[in-house]
Amino acid sequence: MGSNPRTVPAPMIVEDWDQLTFRVNREAYRSAEIFTRERGWVWMHTWLYLGHETEIPNPNDFKVRTLGGRPLIFCRDSAGEVHAFLNSCPHRGTVLCRENEGSTRLFQCFYHAWTFRNNGELAAIPDVGAYESGDDFAASMGLRSVPRLEIHEGFVFVSFDPDVPPLLEHLGDAADYMTMIEQQHEGGMTTLAGTQLYSVRGNWKLAVENAMDGYHFAPTHNTFVGYLRESGFAVTDDNQYAYNLGNGHGLLVLTGHGGRISMVWEPRFGEDERVRTEQHRAEMTRRLGETRAHYVADESHILFVFPNLLLFDIEGLSIRQLEPVAPDQTDVRAWQLVPRNEDPDTRALRMKTVVSFVGPGGLATPDDIEAYEAVQRGIQATANSAAPELDYSDMSRGMADEVKGAQGRSIDEGAMRGFWRHWIEAIGLDDGLEINGERPASFLVGRDVR
Amino acid sequence: MTTITSSRSVRCAGRTVTRQDVEDFLYAEADILDHWDYDSWLGLFEEGARYEIPTTDYRPGWSLHETGSFVDDDWDLLRARVKRLKSRKAHAENPHSRTHRLVSNVRLSEHSEDCFQVAASFVVHRARDGRFDAYVGWYDHLLVPSEDGLRFRLRRSILGHESLAAGARLSFIL
Repeated sequence: MGSNPRTVPAPMIVEDWDQLTFRVNREAYRSAEIFTRERGWVWMHTWLYLGHETEIPNPNDFKVRTLGGRPLIFCRDSAGEVHAFLNSCPHRGTVLCRENEGSTRLFQCFYHAWTFRNNGELAAIPDVGAYESGDDFAASMGLRSVPRLEIHEGFVFVSFDPDVPPLLEHLGDAADYMTMIEQQHEGGMTTLAGTQLYSVRGNWKLAVENAMDGYHFAPTHNTFVGYLRESGFAVTDDNQYAYNLGNGHGLLVLTGHGGRISMVWEPRFGEDERVRTEQHRAEMTRRLGETRAHYVADESHILFVFPNLLLFDIEGLSIRQLEPVAPDQTDVRAWQLVPRNEDPDTRALRMKTVVSFVGPGGLATPDDIEAYEAVQRGIQATANSAAPELDYSDMSRGMADEVKGAQGRSIDEGAMRGFWRHWIEAIGLDDGLEINGERPASFLVGRDVR
Repeated sequence: MTTITSSRSVRCAGRTVTRQDVEDFLYAEADILDHWDYDSWLGLFEEGARYEIPTTDYRPGWSLHETGSFVDDDWDLLRARVKRLKSRKAHAENPHSRTHRLVSNVRLSEHSEDCFQVAASFVVHRARDGRFDAYVGWYDHLLVPSEDGLRFRLRRSILGHESLAAGARLSFIL
C-alpha cells in the first residue's frame, strides 16, 4: 500500500503548541485514497469488534455480519466454541450462508453442495473421488477462519492479521470499563433481539468524534435537554471529563446528562423505580465495595474502542458498531445490552428510555446524524480550495489543559485529539502529522477506578 | 381452500365501523402529517396511547418492552416527541422533511370490546438534502371508536426494509 501514488496533500493533522491549535485536514473525511488506506491498514491490522457472545447463546447458533467489507459467519459450534469464518465457500467464493441468523450444524453451499461443519471442517464434497489428491485436497478446503478471535467480558473481537498483540494489550485501559459493565448486575448482561440497523451519509470518523464530543450536547440536543429539565433532572456539563485511554480509545465520563436505570434514579423513571434503584445500588456496594461501586454505578461512560466500537453506558446500555462503507457512508448497528435478571417493569422502562435517546428514531440521535451528514456536505465548500489552509477542521478546544497537565473537560476536544493522533499512526502516513512547537510529554492521563 | 375474510366493517363498542370510515381517518392523518400539523395529529390519539416502530428484524409477537426498537413511545414520550418536532431546535427536522404518504390495503379485524385492529400498507416518500428516500411497510394499529370519531390507542409502523437505507432516519413521523 505504501507504494501507491500519493495524492492526498500533507499534512493530515497540524498540531501547534505555540498557538495551541489542532487542525484536521478535511480530506480525511472525503478522500477515497484515505478510505482505502483505512481498510488496508486499520481494518486489516487491528482488533475489530465483531459481536457479543450472547447474540449466539446456544450451540449451533449463528449470525452473519460484514466487517471491513468482508462477509463473515459469527457462530457457536456444536461443542459451544465461538468462531468467525469468512462467509464465502472455499470452492468458488459463493456466499455460503445466505440467512442473517439461525441455528445449524452444517453450512451447505447451494451452488455445488459443498458442506461444512459449524467448527469449520469440511463435511462433504459431492463426488470427491474426482479430485486426484483426494484427502489432501479435502483437508485444504475447510472454512477460512478469521485468523484471530478473543473475547473480553462477552465482547467478541477478531483480527484479520494473525500477528496482532493479545486483545487485552490492545484494549489497555479500555478493558476495565467493559468489565465495569459486566459488574453492574450480579447475573451479568445479555444482548436482546431488536437490532437497530441504519446507515448514515457521513464518514465513520464523524461518528467517533460526535461520541467523544461533550461540547455538542447542549446545542445539538437542545430539545432533549429541555425534555429532561421539564421532567425534573438538573442537566449540567460541570465537573465532567474526557480521557484518552491510549491506542486510540477514548472515554467521556458524564454525571449531568441523565440518570442510570437501576443505579442513578431521576424523576422520569417514576416512584416505583426509585425503591428498586436504592435496593440494587445497596447490593452493588455490598458486592463491589464502596469505591468500585461508585465508579460502576454513579457515572455514565461513553467508551470508544478503536476503531469500530462505541459503548453508550448511559441511561441504559447500547453497543454501537461502525462499519465504514465508503468515505461518505457508514453502516451503523446497535444492540441493547441489559441485565440478565431484571424486574419486568424495570426492563420495560429501560427499553423505552434507551430508545427515546439513541437510534434513528430517538429524540436525540437523529440530531447527531444530522450533524455528521451536514459536516459531510459542508466540507465540500473547501475541497481543492485555492487557499488550502481553509480545508481544515478545528479541534483545539482545551489544548491549554494538555500543556498544564490538567484533566480535559468533557466539553473540550481532547478525546478527539487522542483519537486522531492514534489514527494518523494507524494509517501509516509517515508525514501525515505536523507538530509545531514542543509537545508536552504528559497528555495521556488515565485514572484509578478500583 | 383459501378463505377470504370480509373486512368491510367491524362491530366495536356498540358501533359499526366501516372500512371507508377507517380509510377516511388514515387519509386525513396522512394529510395532517404531510402538512406538519402536529397538534392536530396528537388530537387523533386517545389519552394514554402509544406510538411504536419496531426494528427491521422484528418478528410478530415481540414485545418492545423486551426487545430493542426504533420507537417505543408511551403517552409522555409521544407528547415530548410532538413538542420536539414543533421546535425550531429539532435540528434533524429543521428544515422539515417533505413527505408524501400513500396508504392502501386497508383491512379491519376485531380485537377487544372497545377497540379494533387495522392493518394497512404505506409508502412514505421523504425529500430532504437533495435526496429522495422511500419508506415502505405496514401499519398495525389499534383504533377506538368515540363520540368524536376514531382515535389511536396504538399506532404502530412496521418497516418492510432489511435495514434503514443510507440517510434514512425516523426523525419525522412514519
